[in-house]
Amino acid sequence: MNSEEIEKIVEHHTGRQGSIMTILEDIQSKFHYLPEEALRIVAHRTGRSLVDIYGVATFYKAFSLKPRGKHLISCCLGTACHVRGGQAIAEEFQRQLHVAAGETTADNEITFETVNCLGACALGPIVVSDGHYSANVNARKVGQIIRHTKAGVYRTSGDSTHDTFPLEVSCPHCRRSLLDNENRLGGYPSVRIRVSAEDRSGWARFSSLYGNFVKRYEIDVPENAMVALFCPHCSSNLQGDGRCVQCNAPMADVRVNEKGSVLSICTRKECSGHMLDLNGTTK
Amino acid sequence: MKKLTSIDEFTAMHTQLVADARGDIPTIVISAGTCGRASGANALIRAAEKELLQKNLTDRIRLRITGCHGFCAMEPSVLVEPGRTFYPRISPDDMVTIIDATARGTIAAELLYVDPETGKTIEQQDELPFFKKQLRTIMGRNEKVDPIRIHDYIGNGGYLPLAKALSRRDPKFVLEEIIASGLRGRGGAGFPTGQKWTLFAAQRNSGAKYIICNADEGDPGAYMDRSVLEGNPHSILEGMLIGAYATGASEGIIYIRTEYPLAIQHLNTALSQARELGVLGENILGTGFSFDIGIVKGAGAFVCGEETALIASIEGRMGEPRQRPPFPIAKGLNGKPTMINNVETWANIPIIIDAGARAFAAIGTEKSSGTKIFSLVGKIRNTGLVEIPMGMTINEVVRNIGGGSARKGKIKAIQTGGPSGGCIPSSLFDLPIDYDSLAKVGSIMGSGGMIVMDDSTCMVDVAKYFMNFLQDESCGKCFTCRKGTQRLHEILEDITCGKGLPEHLTLLEELAQTVKDTTMCGLGQTAANPVLSTLKYFREEYERHIDDKRCDAFVCKQLTGAPCQAACPVDTEAWRYVAMIEKGDYEEAYRVIRSANPFPAVSARVCDRKCESRCSLGTSGGEAVAIRALKRFVTDRVKPSTYKPVLAKKKRQRVAVVGAGPAGITAAHCLSLRGYGVTVFEAEDRPGGMLTCSLPAYRLPRDVVEKEIKTLLNRRIKMEFGRVLGKDMTVQDLLAGRYDAVFLAFGAHESMRLDLRHEDVRGVFPSIEFLKAFNMRGEELARGHVGVIGGGNSAVDAARVALRQKDVTSVSLFYRRTREEMPAYEEEIDAALEEGVRIETLISPVKIRVRQEEIEAAVREGVELETLVSPVKIHSRKGRLVDIECIRNRLGDVDATGRRKPLPIPGSEFRVRLDTLIVAVGEKPKSEFLASMGLDIDKSGRIRVNAKTLETSLRGVFAGGDLVTGPNTVIDAVAAGKKAAESIDRYLQKKPLAKPATPKLPSVYVEPAQAGESEDKAGARAATPSLAPAERMKNYREVEMALPETAARTESRRCLRCDLAFTEKKSADGSVRSVGEGARHG
Repeated sequence: MNSEEIEKIVEHHTGRQGSIMTILEDIQSKFHYLPEEALRIVAHRTGRSLVDIYGVATFYKAFSLKPRGKHLISCCLGTACHVRGGQAIAEEFQRQLHVAAGETTADNEITFETVNCLGACALGPIVVSDGHYSANVNARKVGQIIRHTKAGVYRTSGDSTHDTFPLEVSCPHCRRSLLDNENRLGGYPSVRIRVSAEDRSGWARFSSLYGNFVKRYEIDVPENAMVALFCPHCSSNLQGDGRCVQCNAPMADVRVNEKGSVLSICTRKECSGHMLDLNGTTK
Repeated sequence: MKKLTSIDEFTAMHTQLVADARGDIPTIVISAGTCGRASGANALIRAAEKELLQKNLTDRIRLRITGCHGFCAMEPSVLVEPGRTFYPRISPDDMVTIIDATARGTIAAELLYVDPETGKTIEQQDELPFFKKQLRTIMGRNEKVDPIRIHDYIGNGGYLPLAKALSRRDPKFVLEEIIASGLRGRGGAGFPTGQKWTLFAAQRNSGAKYIICNADEGDPGAYMDRSVLEGNPHSILEGMLIGAYATGASEGIIYIRTEYPLAIQHLNTALSQARELGVLGENILGTGFSFDIGIVKGAGAFVCGEETALIASIEGRMGEPRQRPPFPIAKGLNGKPTMINNVETWANIPIIIDAGARAFAAIGTEKSSGTKIFSLVGKIRNTGLVEIPMGMTINEVVRNIGGGSARKGKIKAIQTGGPSGGCIPSSLFDLPIDYDSLAKVGSIMGSGGMIVMDDSTCMVDVAKYFMNFLQDESCGKCFTCRKGTQRLHEILEDITCGKGLPEHLTLLEELAQTVKDTTMCGLGQTAANPVLSTLKYFREEYERHIDDKRCDAFVCKQLTGAPCQAACPVDTEAWRYVAMIEKGDYEEAYRVIRSANPFPAVSARVCDRKCESRCSLGTSGGEAVAIRALKRFVTDRVKPSTYKPVLAKKKRQRVAVVGAGPAGITAAHCLSLRGYGVTVFEAEDRPGGMLTCSLPAYRLPRDVVEKEIKTLLNRRIKMEFGRVLGKDMTVQDLLAGRYDAVFLAFGAHESMRLDLRHEDVRGVFPSIEFLKAFNMRGEELARGHVGVIGGGNSAVDAARVALRQKDVTSVSLFYRRTREEMPAYEEEIDAALEEGVRIETLISPVKIRVRQEEIEAAVREGVELETLVSPVKIHSRKGRLVDIECIRNRLGDVDATGRRKPLPIPGSEFRVRLDTLIVAVGEKPKSEFLASMGLDIDKSGRIRVNAKTLETSLRGVFAGGDLVTGPNTVIDAVAAGKKAAESIDRYLQKKPLAKPATPKLPSVYVEPAQAGESEDKAGARAATPSLAPAERMKNYREVEMALPETAARTESRRCLRCDLAFTEKKSADGSVRSVGEGARHG
């Protein structure tokens, strides 16, 4: 744990409504639990007693004082899931993972928890693993969900890769192609674009496969930094109007066809946020 | 995005967006809320994008990704505008088909919704029964807008109400509108919104004033708020903006639960877009009005839905409620005035300002105006979000919109209001849904969860579930809430584990009342509702758990054990013999079967398989283990002598058994083993009862019955044939003579009548008479065209027997409801259809016509026939059936049996020419004479007994089987025989008749199959081999055959071995027997 990171989080939220909750949530999402040291820093920085912060941290279900596994499986026990046998699903997970609810497997791979309602009641019993919703789960699907979770299947942007397809992207200003047929990524021509971040500039290469979004930067870009994208031909800045739904960073627009379809991609380094506007109506 | 700086600029933008909208271009709308995505909407989106780009259709077909449309059961679904074509449960490949059709201007007819009720395809979304009766003022907007595009919202009239409110420059106008609309808080309590706003607006001289959107939708089973937040986030922002303007609030906060990631994402996007456009933040639309909204995420605490706890949470403290007053309106967040409204309340605000208070108030009832969204979930066919005008009845929502039960279960209750609400039984489903009506019956509106429960839901378990939830979620501040919910939960836990005592029910009531009276916040004050309402309406379920140690819904594990065993009327350890088959020990498997059931070979053929209907494999989404087929496999292979019953020492008392059917023979057999001398009196000339006279030989070969009965008789049992009770003797004669006790089990052998004229003419046969004539005497009564009326097993049996008779040309079966509701076993109906029996459903006979000289003439002439059926001729004994007249029915509302009542359609009468008519509408006992012997008879002719002991109203006389239950299954008769033997033994030994109930849990440990083999569980159920239809014609060969050995072994490995949960741990400490150490029977 890096105490600077904690300090940064605290600083970022200080003075806003609900800051303590948000601070703890951010720490939790960064470390997957609330380390004791972090709570001390939060108490110190916010002027609240450690007892107070500890009270908050233990009152709410979403916070954990124990380190969590690499993967999180949540089994819904809302009323709708319960009447459709959710309890039996939870028991089956506990049996197969050899843990009680709220615990982590010995190999630190999976934390299993039960939650009160995930709000997908029509599809119950519901299980969410690494953000992926499995609907109408029955005891026989439990093994498969565990296997997939361990294999990280649910982490890969939610979708399987077999339905990706290549896009022929071009510059919305000079309309020249951004594809580089020589250098291929994943078997398809790569998208070659000039980028600049902070005081550096250079080249980057993206996958042209829609739904893949591999980004390779040939310059050193700091973590979470925003990058400006430029057309390699006319040097226009590709930044568009939109903002990323996932991280709220500005989006860069590229042209997809002659009929006005536009692909917006998030300019944040790690973010896979993207939006395909087929009708070109978002202007 | 250019910031708008005046209302004029905004309206100009709106006008432009409307002009650009091009509603004529086909648009594919994909429902992609959390439910949609969980069901595969993401793949659909990808498929649509790919197809539109690759086919170069992006200018001809539009694509709109929206939030939830509400019909979650049909997700992922697609709507195609402008025709509003609805496509349910679409795969990515289907999407290509839909785009193809749309591009050609047609409809992909094969992908349309099929109404399960009528079988008809429905094209338009609004014509679907699910949508038809809804009034979707809020939900309907979800499909219009892409939630991450503010222009979509504005193009559909969004932010116009805000502009309208702002341009009036009169906050009072808004307040008055909200008051006049009659809107009440949608969070559950139903406080008048206008009143709350007025109080809040009056708060001055304080600096900051907060409004909060309570999006901590914590009620398990409710998710309408999520759907609105995800699908139309701007509507919430707009509601809050209008509210802030009306009340002078300075800052807004949306407190949203962290379990809703997509909603949070969409809200964040909406907030930043609204700020960029200038409808949120400083100097909104240049009017000088400033207001901004922030998001605070909850962290998983149900109590934070309570307003003071919610405020504590935003302040960064534990979410504990505090005493009110002061109310948050005066002293809330940071000690400043704070007004909290629920998501759905906020979503209604723009609608009210847009349409006007009067239009809004016109919807719903006088005291509950507007619409309410419910999440209709649980055991219902059409799960989803349902928006209805207040005042609609529960029945309309559950039956018409919800489409009734999801499976064959019978709906018994709905639960509303989450943990604070209660269960409403189906007998009250005529209740209108509004705040006051629901409160009157002990529930509450709540935020709108409506969880449907059927006969596989245990109401004690539901109460326990909520108590567990509440003891978990109680913040702990009030002692009675913290400890009270815990104790309530413990008592309920005891009851569901078989440790319940009768006095627990009073204790529950007393404790529940205490929790209610002595707690501070809403959570505690309502915590007892789930217990109190289930106790009020489902007390008999509690009593069944306590007195009989039974959970009829098979939910409470400690009372159920292995469901297959618990379901079996004779308590057969099905799991155990299945496991023995897996081990290859067929003899032991036979002993397990036989030790519980004296009729293994018969049961292997005609049992109705209650075990399979409760098999965990089947109820968890797979196909039940073919338990009966496995039993057949064993009984075909193992000699009955493998099982050696233990004969007790002879006792001096004697018992008379009347009736040699399965109940009588079982009782006689069991009593003889206990040492009694038994005489069985049988009216016919051979034993078997229904097994021989009613069940057809192709289902149950005669030699199987004869052999099996032979194994059950011994020297202590004396058979007397041709002896009829009431004619040859009375009960009193028997008791006065040699017998110390009597068991009556002579069945139900009288066919019920249609009560139509001419029912006694030639060619019309009661089914029992028809079957008996053939089965006992070999007479073939049917000829020509045969009609059978009825839908039960005996109707189907009669139809199939008729079909085999040599002079029969065709057989039709007439039944008054639909095929789904026929009480015959499914596979019997299928078999009958295969063999060529035509089933005409929704028909009930109204009139039977007779052959007469006059009528023969009339038949040729046609129309006058009706009038020619004169009463005089009807009485003619020379008549013979020629045809029957039928009338078509439609299905009406659900009746007491849980099925929909058939209602005749006037004018739909038609006639069917018939040579033979078999009436199979039910059987009843011939029992009128019993009353004169002093026995208590009910109006259906059944004998009344104590259900637990089978004692009749006469001392020493017991009764069981069809005589008590009416026509029932063989296995239930066998069970009655066993129970009678037990009771009679206790009676003769002068012990109390009733035995205290104990749950029957698996008690023998059988090692599970080796790992690797368990993979077979995913496999398909073994199909039972049967004779091809062609080989069954005009003969009585047995249709069903036994499984081959390999198939049986494979099938046995599919068993989930529910028993292990009860024996595995205990086998280690030696408290449970293991196979191989004295587990043998006999």
